[in-house]
Amino acid sequence: MALTGRLGLLALVVAFVPLLVPSGAVLLGLWGLLLLGVVIDLCLAGNVRKLRFHREGDTRVRLGETAKAALIVENTGGRRVKAILRDAWQPSAGVSPRRTRINIPAGERRRIDQTFTPTRRGDRKAVTVVVRSVGPLGLAARQLSRSAPRTLRVLPAFPSRRHLPSRLARLRELTGLQATMIRGQGTEFDSLREYVVGDDVRSIDWRATARRGDVVVRTWRPERDRRLYLVLDTGRTSAGRLGDIPRLDCSMDAALLLAALASRAGDRVDLLAYDRTVRARCENASRTGLLSEMVEAMAPLEPALVESDAAGMVSAVMSRVRRRSLIVLLTELNPAAFEEGLLPLLPGLTARHLVLIAAVSDPAVDEMAAARGDIAAVYDAAAAERARADRRRLTAELRSFGVEVVDAPPDRIAPALADAYLALKAAGRL
Amino acid sequence: MVTAVGTTAEPTARQVAGRRWRSARGIVLVLLCVVAVGVALAALKPSRHPDDLDPGSPRPGGTRALVEILKGRGVGVAVSRDAADAASKAGAGTMLVVTRTERLTSSDLDRLRGSSGDLLLVEPGRETLAALAPGVEQDSPTFVIKADPECGLPAATLAGTIAFGESETYTAPPGVTSCYRQSGSPRLVQYQTGGRTVTVLGASRPLTNGHLTDEGNAALAMNLVGARSQVVWLIPDAHRDGSGGQAGDRTLSDLLPPGVKLFFLGLVVAVVPIALWRGRRLGPVVTEVLPVVVRSAETVTGRARLYRAHRARGRAADALRAGARDRIVPLLGLPRTVAQALPAQDPGAVREVVAAVAARSDHDERTVAMALYGLAPGEASYHWPSGQPGASGQPGPYGQAGAFAQAGEFAPTGPGGAEPADDAGLLALADLLDDLERQVRQS
Repeated sequence: MALTGRLGLLALVVAFVPLLVPSGAVLLGLWGLLLLGVVIDLCLAGNVRKLRFHREGDTRVRLGETAKAALIVENTGGRRVKAILRDAWQPSAGVSPRRTRINIPAGERRRIDQTFTPTRRGDRKAVTVVVRSVGPLGLAARQLSRSAPRTLRVLPAFPSRRHLPSRLARLRELTGLQATMIRGQGTEFDSLREYVVGDDVRSIDWRATARRGDVVVRTWRPERDRRLYLVLDTGRTSAGRLGDIPRLDCSMDAALLLAALASRAGDRVDLLAYDRTVRARCENASRTGLLSEMVEAMAPLEPALVESDAAGMVSAVMSRVRRRSLIVLLTELNPAAFEEGLLPLLPGLTARHLVLIAAVSDPAVDEMAAARGDIAAVYDAAAAERARADRRRLTAELRSFGVEVVDAPPDRIAPALADAYLALKAAGRL
Repeated sequence: MVTAVGTTAEPTARQVAGRRWRSARGIVLVLLCVVAVGVALAALKPSRHPDDLDPGSPRPGGTRALVEILKGRGVGVAVSRDAADAASKAGAGTMLVVTRTERLTSSDLDRLRGSSGDLLLVEPGRETLAALAPGVEQDSPTFVIKADPECGLPAATLAGTIAFGESETYTAPPGVTSCYRQSGSPRLVQYQTGGRTVTVLGASRPLTNGHLTDEGNAALAMNLVGARSQVVWLIPDAHRDGSGGQAGDRTLSDLLPPGVKLFFLGLVVAVVPIALWRGRRLGPVVTEVLPVVVRSAETVTGRARLYRAHRARGRAADALRAGARDRIVPLLGLPRTVAQALPAQDPGAVREVVAAVAARSDHDERTVAMALYGLAPGEASYHWPSGQPGASGQPGPYGQAGAFAQAGEFAPTGPGGAEPADDAGLLALADLLDDLERQVRQS
């Protein structure tokens, strides 16, 4: 049950009546009339229990885009339902309109168009539909919450998509599919052809040259069907906010660009999200469905406020990946966490796989390092220099284990990781 | 020395106070204006002392002088503090002087109306006028002090000009005696009504001790008040002890008409549906689990605060030097491992770096060694080139750094070099390192 503003207004008007007619009986009589009106309204208001809800429209939307959906309300009761309806979603679903007036005759249905502009990645749920059915006099209403479940999956934004065309062009240069001077580099023997000026003299095949009487070079093409295993660290370090976005979202963006590039290059890509347990997995996806499957797997991931279990992560990777692979670990270069966790386990991993560690650095630290002016700024700069030195030392140590390290700020991590992959591919190290 | 521990991002207490003042100053200004206007109005309004027009009071506002003079002339004066008492004392042949009419209640006025004898109303209010001088109405007040009689009333014409001060004026029905007009409205009205003479005087000043001697005030007062042989001077008390049936005895609810009481009851009842209307939510509040996100640079900021809190100039200088070396050494074309070399481990590499940097900048080797490695002149691990004697103390181009090198303020303590003696030294070191890096980068 709910009362309306009209009843309050009438009660207020009634309060002024004794100034004209100073009689208690008149006042009591008017109050009785209002009460009677409330009872009539409650009896004659449309039945909320007889409403049926159906939903249709988008169930998936990329973060930053707008989804369209509709709530269809069917009145199976015998009376017209005149009501205010609130479709209650979680706030970050960004549903609009939040409240609608509905007026549905008995036996008919109405469609309420909605738009969703989510502000956060993940699954957004419809919690309840509240209907306040107002009586014919507009003095009182029957109110009820009904459930009409629905989930809107908000996918990662993947803003680094714009880097994909340029990287694909580089990839085509590498594989020789594009007409260039250099036919391609790699370790897989492709064919022999005549030497032209500019070719690497090391690629001259002297045996064939002797046979042909002309200088002949061997050409190579990059390997195909290599395996990439992307590991997303969702532990506490991934919760750090860089500007406005969490480190985890930057890592996801970089992983998506790398996966898109690698699948076009003919490599197989798997994904594992791990902190102390497996959070998400995307394995053996088809080449065409890879990106959508990865995005689906990533969408509900949230940073967990626990220290990542490096040993568990390594053993999970080792048990899943049999063939030699490129293992891309998207994490943070945190010296303390590394020294206790991953560093002792790296030799075992690098013995069987090629390991690439991609870390998103914080541009705020660089800003602090450049800060000057007063003594507080200089202490900030000193602390930032110290942090960068720690990071450099860790990077050098990781490289000494034969691990590739990509360390870049959020706006450059995705292309930097893609470039590192292309460089490895060009060098035939996959 | 630096005493404040706030960073530029955090507003200081002064800034916060300033912002609050700027946002609140409009309201404060309006409040001040209201207070100022109120004070001005209160100051302009003539204040009335409780003893004003009291026949027993010798204060300038009292009327003791007039009463004494009257008594001396053989006029009997009875002072009454209560309207009922005054009404009973008044009779044919008496003059009832009614003052301070703002203290009279409607029942008091009824009693006075029922009395007999002549009436002199001094500065009567509207209700008193309506009750005791029907037909006479209040007009606008006048501030013109002096006025001439301009009428045929003997009491006035004998007195001549009167100093009224601020005075009420009246509109009188036609045919009554009206004196001391100001733009047509008289200050003094006298007429016959209900078988008695009623006189309305618009100002109390002519009767008071302080102004009795002005102009013809005394004459007018004597003529008006002493017109009868017996005077009843009514000055009602402000506070009544309240014997049964008095107005002061009744509560607020007795005084309110029943309709108003019902109105308030109706308002109280109307609050209930309005509260229920506004208080009823349209369904539950939807909760959402929000991720915890911490600024990634939080630990770095924390370390900076620790440095500052403990004045860790040595550690801060080490970090700055190491960072600068890491950036400068690759620019020189030397391997990165050289950047990590310290004077104690590899003096040769250090000497190489210092020489290369000095060659590419306008700083001498002493300044460069001090900036990049914190080496004080004559330190064992580093041999100064013979051409530049470290002990000669010639000031470097970088004034500040040269100055503290001269003073020998660098104590060879930390692993990365000497510690600046104070905050200014650390600031100077940071600037010097920036300058070196810039010059090497541009060379």
